[in-house]
Amino acid sequence: MRIQFATRMLLAVAMLTAAPRMLTAQGAGDTIKSVMPRMVKIFGAGGIRQLHAYGTGTLVSAEGHIITVWSHVLDTDEVTVVLANGRRLEAKVLGAEPQLDLAVIKLQEDDLDLPFFDLADAASASPGTRILGFSNMFKVATGDEPVSVLHGVISARTKLTARRGAYQVPYDGDVYVVDAITNNPGAGGGIITSVDGKLLGMIGKELRNAKSNTWINYAVPIPEIRKVVGEIISGQYVREEKSDEEDNPERYNPYDFGLVMIPDVLYRTPAYITSVVPGTPAAEAKIQPDDLIVFANDELIQSNRMLKRELGRLEAGDTLRIIVKRGTTLVNLELPVQKKPGS
Amino acid sequence: MQFSIKYRRSLFGFSLFVCAALATENAIAADAKTEALEEQAFKQAAALAAESVVRVQTIGGIDRVGQVLTGTGPTTGVVVSADGYIISSAFNFASKPASVLVRLPDGRRFSAETVATDRLKMLTLLKIDAKGLIPAIAAKKDSVKVGQWAVAMGRTFSLEYPSISVGIVSALNRIWGKAVQTDAKISPVNYGGPLVNIEGKTLGILVPLSTRGNGETAGVEWYDSGIGFAIPMQDVYTTLDRLKAGKDLQPGLMGINFRGRDLLGGKPIIDRVRTESPADKVGFKSGDLIVTVNGKPVRRQAEVKQVLGSLYSGDTVKIAVKRDDKTIEQELTLVAELVAYESGFLGILPKREPTGPAMAGVEVRHVFPDSPAAKAGLKARDRIMRFGETDITDSQSLLSLVSRLRPKEKTSLVFRRDDKEQTVQLELASIPNDVPAELTSSFIPVVKEDDAEDDKEPADKDNNADADAEEGPKTGRFNVKMPNGEHSYWAYVPADYNPEYEYAVMVWIHPSGDTMEATVFKQWQAICDRRGIIILGPKAQQLSGFTPNDAEFVKDALEQMTEKYSIDANRVFLHTYSNGGKFTYQLAFKYREQFHGVAAAAAPLRTRPPENDPDYRMQFHLLCGDKDSLFRNVQQTVGGLKRLKYPVNLTTMKGRARKYPAEEETEEIGRWADGLDRI
Repeated sequence: MRIQFATRMLLAVAMLTAAPRMLTAQGAGDTIKSVMPRMVKIFGAGGIRQLHAYGTGTLVSAEGHIITVWSHVLDTDEVTVVLANGRRLEAKVLGAEPQLDLAVIKLQEDDLDLPFFDLADAASASPGTRILGFSNMFKVATGDEPVSVLHGVISARTKLTARRGAYQVPYDGDVYVVDAITNNPGAGGGIITSVDGKLLGMIGKELRNAKSNTWINYAVPIPEIRKVVGEIISGQYVREEKSDEEDNPERYNPYDFGLVMIPDVLYRTPAYITSVVPGTPAAEAKIQPDDLIVFANDELIQSNRMLKRELGRLEAGDTLRIIVKRGTTLVNLELPVQKKPGS
Repeated sequence: MQFSIKYRRSLFGFSLFVCAALATENAIAADAKTEALEEQAFKQAAALAAESVVRVQTIGGIDRVGQVLTGTGPTTGVVVSADGYIISSAFNFASKPASVLVRLPDGRRFSAETVATDRLKMLTLLKIDAKGLIPAIAAKKDSVKVGQWAVAMGRTFSLEYPSISVGIVSALNRIWGKAVQTDAKISPVNYGGPLVNIEGKTLGILVPLSTRGNGETAGVEWYDSGIGFAIPMQDVYTTLDRLKAGKDLQPGLMGINFRGRDLLGGKPIIDRVRTESPADKVGFKSGDLIVTVNGKPVRRQAEVKQVLGSLYSGDTVKIAVKRDDKTIEQELTLVAELVAYESGFLGILPKREPTGPAMAGVEVRHVFPDSPAAKAGLKARDRIMRFGETDITDSQSLLSLVSRLRPKEKTSLVFRRDDKEQTVQLELASIPNDVPAELTSSFIPVVKEDDAEDDKEPADKDNNADADAEEGPKTGRFNVKMPNGEHSYWAYVPADYNPEYEYAVMVWIHPSGDTMEATVFKQWQAICDRRGIIILGPKAQQLSGFTPNDAEFVKDALEQMTEKYSIDANRVFLHTYSNGGKFTYQLAFKYREQFHGVAAAAAPLRTRPPENDPDYRMQFHLLCGDKDSLFRNVQQTVGGLKRLKYPVNLTTMKGRARKYPAEEETEEIGRWADGLDRI
């Protein structure tokens, strides 16, 4: 009895000394302890032709709503979900938003009372913030084990311009780029949190940075998906269709402004102007032959191809702002976008 | 009593547990606090350095450099002077862009001019027309410690905040003394950006580097791997003025290689000194042991490389070598490029004398038309007695004198004709890149034929040496199994083989899957008989073709032949067709003392050959059909070999696709081989 008493006393002292500090900052250890029960492993379709049949999910309601990435893994009638404690449950896909690469699945079990992340509590963070990444990457957690944890910092918050194979990824909103290697097979649907436990973003699929041709490690900030997740759960979600034509319209081309460009012979032919048609907006703006167009409406123009794409998006009444390189100086110019005859 | 002991032990145990719990709780709280403080420090360090970190954008350029698909995205640079100089990674300009733009953190855009590139440390200096920029502050090089925090920064993602990756300094003086290594994630996203310490001072400029390659894209394969490199900022500032001068900086070379390939264990003994290299100019010789570099004692090859690896061409270095019992110290000025060595050419073929005691001088067998010898009036059967200041004893001594002189060098020559000595002045030429249309074969008298026994086992040569000598070596076409029982080769020795004369050896390297023994034998038998050539046809152990592991066997087989037959070492050459080329070139460059010629049909060279060296003479004869898909590659091979100043001919087989040369062309190879001992 005396022993027990002494122990309790000492423990109480320990708690007292430690507690006030813990209030100021939660360490990585506590964060991991609290995040793990909210993470699930997902097993579904795949397993052939190098397609992985597993993924990661994050609980966002006590009743078993789980967010994950929209992928082939969910392309089956029922997916198997394994909770952090090893409990195995079946789940059905509730809805998906391919534009965001997002899906919500629901555990097929009543009376669940699971720990979860409230998406309304999600925070945002700046570069340099330390993060932890949680995911079922590479299916290393094969048994009744929790998912893997990685650490790193936020490298940047930026617009995603990524490729999957040769295809541009539809999502072009904000992402957190991190310096931990978070985006691995099966990691999609995992999350990153700050070291003190604030939910920051959902880890996406493996993608390449379209600008540097390197694999990119990123997570979609929770505020970007919060609304859609809510709508899917409440059954109000309606998918908006976006046609390809809208993505790449060809409404204007350089000649419409009186610009004759050098022949497009290389994959990246620089946008050099060979001549200017008199009496056109280009001539009025005093654009000269041998000027190199380097920016159009603030987009870097690396080739004739990009210039064509940028001009294609213009509409009558817009102003085309371009920066040309003339010798070693940069010249800012503005050209009116006139209504095309016959349109 | 017993209870008491148990009680005490238990109490002790519990207090330990409690203390541990207390410590852990405290540690967690302290950790959390440290974590938060460290995070603050990363952000502050980045903020301090951010003003000097600019965005670099490129326009145009190729979309692929070697195997690497170049990105089009923005990259990073670091301000190094208030008046607009910006340093970046050479990787960012590997695509050779038409135009470079720089965007400052305040949003201003400038067109940038590429000033110069440091090809040793893979940095490129840019200049923009701006004033009042904030240069990066260099961290003192000797203050950098392994294990300290290192923050890698780039300006590719967002203009507002530089991108950040946090790691530690993993090592110093990496890649032969050039770089700091870090485990922060380094990739095209931050190449050209700074690696900063926790105070925001710049440790170095991030670049891809590799222990193997040294091109612009070498080391990119290690992106985001936890192995990243930065060139120390202090070094960047030291070389800045040299780059500002507008001339590219090149790695400095001294022109030696070491004996053996054991960098770590091997003593720095000079194996070869390149002719006219800095090392040659100060008189370093093969066999010299390097003892100090810039006054610092060195014991292993790696230590020498560690010092030389970070020096530029134009830099001077003091090197002391030990020769016999003397120590010789010399100051060398390193160069960017070692001049390819080109041997001079006199224009004669020496007469092939029978073995045995030789007369003084060298008898001329043939004078090449239009050669220096022809212009000086030499004729066949003249006897060359002196070359320059040296008396000639045999053809080998004449060859080594001539090949050590360069084309256009002038010298005198004394020859004897009709018992009268004449002196002529002549100017050496380049070795011609063609095969004479006619060349009378050298006469080998027929000896009375011994009856060679065809069933004689060649194995166990020690015991059979005497037997061979008595019975005479085998002639005709025969097969030989190597003592190891795994390899075998076929051979052809002209039927009227005369051991008193030296023969050439053609080592036939067959393409994969087909030894082509019948074809080669049929087309070559008559040529071999006429010109005194022995064929050695090693067979690949695997049908799929030769592998580098077969090299030793080919060399052993050649040695076996050399022991049994009278062979002119200068006329041992390799002959191959199609995909036998790869192995053939490997052999040629691996065993430079054994092989002195390569006659390759439809077989381009795909690796960089070693430098031409007068001590290891090597001549090439390439053939290819102009309808062959490899024709262009073969032409490139010829161009590449010519640039390295190797003697090389190209015979175009008109209107033909991939096919083994026809009789007319093998005749030509025969003539070429018969002139391998040209001087």
